[in-house]
Amino acid sequence: MKKTLALFPLLVLSNLFAADHQWVLKQSTLTYHVSHPLHQTEGVSHAARGKGICHDGQCDFLIAVPVKTFDSGDSNRDLHMIQVTRGAEYPMVTVRTHLPESASTSATVKADIEIQFAGQTAHYQQVAFELVTQGNETRITGTISITLTDFKIDPPSLLTMPVKNEIPVRVEMTWSPQ
Amino acid sequence: MDVRAAKVVSSVGPVLLLALTLGTLRAQEANATLSGTVTDHAGHLLPGLKVSVKNLTSGQSTEIQTDSDGLYTVSNLAPGDYEISVTLAEGTKAQPVTLTAGASPKVDLVLDVVLPSTKVPAAGPTASPTETLPNAPSSTKTEPSLEDLGFPKAETQSNAAQQALLDKRTHMLKIHQRMGLITTIPLIATVITSLNIGGKSEGTASRDLHVALGSLTGDLYGITAWYAIRAPKIAGTETRGPIRFHKAMAWIHGPGMILTPILGAMAFEQKNNGEKVHGIAQAHGPVAIVTAGAFGAALLSVSLKF
Repeated sequence: MKKTLALFPLLVLSNLFAADHQWVLKQSTLTYHVSHPLHQTEGVSHAARGKGICHDGQCDFLIAVPVKTFDSGDSNRDLHMIQVTRGAEYPMVTVRTHLPESASTSATVKADIEIQFAGQTAHYQQVAFELVTQGNETRITGTISITLTDFKIDPPSLLTMPVKNEIPVRVEMTWSPQ
Repeated sequence: MDVRAAKVVSSVGPVLLLALTLGTLRAQEANATLSGTVTDHAGHLLPGLKVSVKNLTSGQSTEIQTDSDGLYTVSNLAPGDYEISVTLAEGTKAQPVTLTAGASPKVDLVLDVVLPSTKVPAAGPTASPTETLPNAPSSTKTEPSLEDLGFPKAETQSNAAQQALLDKRTHMLKIHQRMGLITTIPLIATVITSLNIGGKSEGTASRDLHVALGSLTGDLYGITAWYAIRAPKIAGTETRGPIRFHKAMAWIHGPGMILTPILGAMAFEQKNNGEKVHGIAQAHGPVAIVTAGAFGAALLSVSLKF
């Protein structure tokens, strides 16, 4: 009996350590950059939502953003973007990653991420992000170097000149634990 | 029909009928049957999912739903190369398969998503895939799902009709863009040839060339405008950015493209009668210049970033 009582605090502690923690995406700015011989364009969305669930020190994150929420400042271009990325058929861009919970205390983190977009799934290895923790919030910034061919998207063209294949996406997110 | 012909038909007819019946039966026997299960990454069977089986040669598709055990079966398929696919909001899972005569291969599809088993009792209601799958709750505590993020269903659901509308719109506007560029060539040439036909010019050759180029410009412009006007409108879209200026310019060059040839015809007739261009016909030149200017500005507004 005494032995059981002695083990009790240890069991409680280990359960606490293994308990689930959650992270919620508070704010985000996702910006894609398109290069065309005649001009450069950026499309911005602040509509991403995200959640991270941690268990046993390991966290799974899901971030999603509707394709139609990206705003390049020109409604015609945005409609073309939705069309070319098949945004009505596949309305969401989802990003999944798996990180150790300890990563939240690092200044930089390299994550393997999976992106589902335009009906295709692409994997990116060791994408670098910078982390800054202030109070209860962690700000994550980085750039994901995606290409149109990763998602089998035909490069849209203007005046018969196609855009570049590289579409880097700048990510700025603020997460907080729940 | 004479008696001899009737005899031939009566003797050959049954033979032909028999041959056709046997041929059909043989063809049915030779056809293949395709079956399998659809599961998520965690091995859950997925009922009520739409499975598409497409013949890669003919392009013909057959769509069926998985049953309550996540099983699909398509029979009577002609031998050939096929693609089996399942489409979710997260993406499409497709798998090629080659069917040989009389074969019954089993092709199981494993989706790259983790979803809870949505298997329901046979008597229970069956949710449609788009209602159930993209918004399914987390299957495990460590896998957040799209539903956890609280997006409205309307934002996460696939809309094939809207995609078709967007495809058509883009297709028409691409033609509009190309035709607009092509129209620029005779438009510039028309303006250049106008320099030789004003004033005291008596020659008719340059005037005829100007008229011909102007007519060509007008025709091409009409086609260009038609593709822009007839391109489908997307409901709920607010016009923003340079496209607003592009559209505003159409209110100048559109009427200008109608007025310019009318005034031009009047001026042409006056010149042919040996008269000096007078009256309202004198406005042909200025109206044409404003029209060409508005057309050029419309073109540049969507081509260059200012």
